[in-house]
Amino acid sequence: MKEKILNLLEDALPMVDFSSEFLFSAMDSLSVTTVLAILSDEFKITLDAEDATPKNFMNLDSIVALVENKLKEK
Amino acid sequence: MKRDAELYPQKTAVVCGSNIVSYSELWQKVLEKAAELPKNEIVVFRASQSLDFLLTYFALHVNGSVAVPMEKDVPEESFQEVKDLVTKSKTPLGSADILFTTGTTGKKKGVIISHETIIADGENLVEGQGFTHNLAFVITGPFNHIGSLSKIYPVIIKGATLIITEGMKNVNDFFSALDLGFEKFATFLVPSAIRILLQFSGEKLKNYASKIDFIETGAAAISLSDMKKLCEVLPQSRLYNTYASTETGIISTYNFNDGRCLEGCLGRPMSRSKIVITDEGLISCQGKTLMSGYFGDEELTAKVLKDNTVYTSDFGRLDLEGMLRLSGRIDDVINTGGFKVAPTEVESVALSMPEISDCICVAAPHPILGTALKLIYVSVVAVSKKEIALYIKARLESFKVPFYYEEAEKIQRTFNGKLDRKFYRK
Repeated sequence: MKEKILNLLEDALPMVDFSSEFLFSAMDSLSVTTVLAILSDEFKITLDAEDATPKNFMNLDSIVALVENKLKEK
Repeated sequence: MKRDAELYPQKTAVVCGSNIVSYSELWQKVLEKAAELPKNEIVVFRASQSLDFLLTYFALHVNGSVAVPMEKDVPEESFQEVKDLVTKSKTPLGSADILFTTGTTGKKKGVIISHETIIADGENLVEGQGFTHNLAFVITGPFNHIGSLSKIYPVIIKGATLIITEGMKNVNDFFSALDLGFEKFATFLVPSAIRILLQFSGEKLKNYASKIDFIETGAAAISLSDMKKLCEVLPQSRLYNTYASTETGIISTYNFNDGRCLEGCLGRPMSRSKIVITDEGLISCQGKTLMSGYFGDEELTAKVLKDNTVYTSDFGRLDLEGMLRLSGRIDDVINTGGFKVAPTEVESVALSMPEISDCICVAAPHPILGTALKLIYVSVVAVSKKEIALYIKARLESFKVPFYYEEAEKIQRTFNGKLDRKFYRK
């Protein structure tokens, strides 16, 4: 799952360093929105702008955890 | 501001995170900041989304200095370049700001804005959009861009409140601003920010409909479908589409929540502005909101600013009601998310990468931005799009880094060897 998400996000946002532990601060609004759109589409989950918090977007692991939680809620 | 501090000393002037500053405190802080800053000089600084930005900006004006706010993530080399360029030079008497924008060749242009222009822009907005004393205006964009910077003026003129947010990255911050206890709110959002709100928070936005007095958009074209959706979500709010640029100032505005929702319509000229369409169909503007000229470039100034008229590169017409209808640009500049980018600047940086032998930067459709940059490149050795993106990001502002990358065997050129931009527009 983590590798799949990394590949998807790196392909869409080549300028973002997804190994960062401060991912949210390294991203702009468009990058954040792109992540939401790609993950919603790929995993058929509902993500809205309020899910894009600094905590959920702290690093790649926290993004993976966000997806996993949303999948459980389905 | 001094007048506001006397008339409404306890009124909240600025909210920025946990900082809440009244007009009397703001004026005091500006005077304290002014004591630390140079007098009668041109001062270059990074435009952060902070109270400190406002204090620095106003303090420089108090000191008779000229403020040059730069993009906050501008690479250090470009920042120093601008600093070296402006600090030893002079500007015309009455100059307030120099705002750097991108020219068609990719060379930075320093647009000189006078104090008279600032006041005229502010008065145009107060009258044209109905800024009032009890309004709280939420800033979501960068202060080095006229879209957000220009909103400081009407807020101060009316003694209203400015709420500074970090932008639309964390939408929760935007909604938290609307939860503050003010009577009514307004904001400026570029079309891509409206797209983000409608797509990911449309239902939540509906809950704030009664509090939102107006939203202004501009800087790029907004789609008719987003205009209509926004009218549905905010049926009672005024929703403005504005024609403005750093060179022309704030010229005209149209409330598209008027039952007609006219696409590409930018309304009638405001009271301090006039629009004339040239024989070629290009928009030219007159009035007190115009720039004073380009910093250190008399030749370019003479080309754009003649007889108190700014000649733009935008095609448009005035309809039977005297409203401006925009239809495109004459040059190759690409508008992405409200930022204008000269493709030549991106191409020149990409070509300086040893792995790339040829390239072209073109406009490509994007679901949020409307238009995004795409780099089509020919490589001599294998290079990943991540490597190209990071190389460009180290040398240019982030909005100039292409979103899409496509490797090609060759780049189309015209018979005389120039990049064939028309071919890629097909």
